[in-house]
Amino acid sequence: MQEKFKRDLKSLSRVFRFIDSFFSKHHLDSSKKQEVLLAVEELFTNVLKYQAKSAKGITIGLRKGNGEVTIRMIIPDTEAFDFTKAKDPDVDLPIELRRPGGLGIYLTKRMVDRIEFSYRNRTTTITLTKTIGASDA
Amino acid sequence: MLDIRLTERGDVILAGRFDAAQLEKARSVLDTLVSTSTVDFGGLEYISSAGLGLLIATQRRLKEGGHELKLRNLSPHIRDIFKIARFDLIFRIE
Repeated sequence: MQEKFKRDLKSLSRVFRFIDSFFSKHHLDSSKKQEVLLAVEELFTNVLKYQAKSAKGITIGLRKGNGEVTIRMIIPDTEAFDFTKAKDPDVDLPIELRRPGGLGIYLTKRMVDRIEFSYRNRTTTITLTKTIGASDA
Repeated sequence: MLDIRLTERGDVILAGRFDAAQLEKARSVLDTLVSTSTVDFGGLEYISSAGLGLLIATQRRLKEGGHELKLRNLSPHIRDIFKIARFDLIFRIE
């Protein structure tokens, strides 16, 4: 299934309903859903923060197969930024030395099993793959 | 949707989903805290980095005054997120 969402924070509740509905339809593990929601929210809000100039919507596609859920986000009219190469924040620092930024992408990387990034004709495509349990497959 | 309320004792009760769209609603409550307070996560099913960022900012502000934010009743999923972000080093989790 696939849907397009406005590049707006108000779209987040619709994104969540879309993912909720996919996991319900396929009777998938709720804990895996929370991890997918987190990965998608972090990427979605990252686009709003750093690629906000365009009004073009973000397409999110979800697919289940081979014991995996695949999430594809297609973001048109973007600058090239491969977040998979971004430096992780130092999460071992004490509170006084921690600085904002980077935590969302850091969490995204740990919520899914694989991330693929591609950029062509000003369109960013991010593909996340999440392994689901054998009973869910 | 996030439900956040302050008890008469000055503790905070969270329920629902704490995503980026709920940040200002949560900030309007957490910014009122001026002394040590406990946040009850019992009804919270989800939190993203937006919520984590607000919690750490609140903890930093309270610690400057010799107080702290304590957390309790985290779900296994949220406890995992806290471990990954190493927030278990920053908050006392009951």
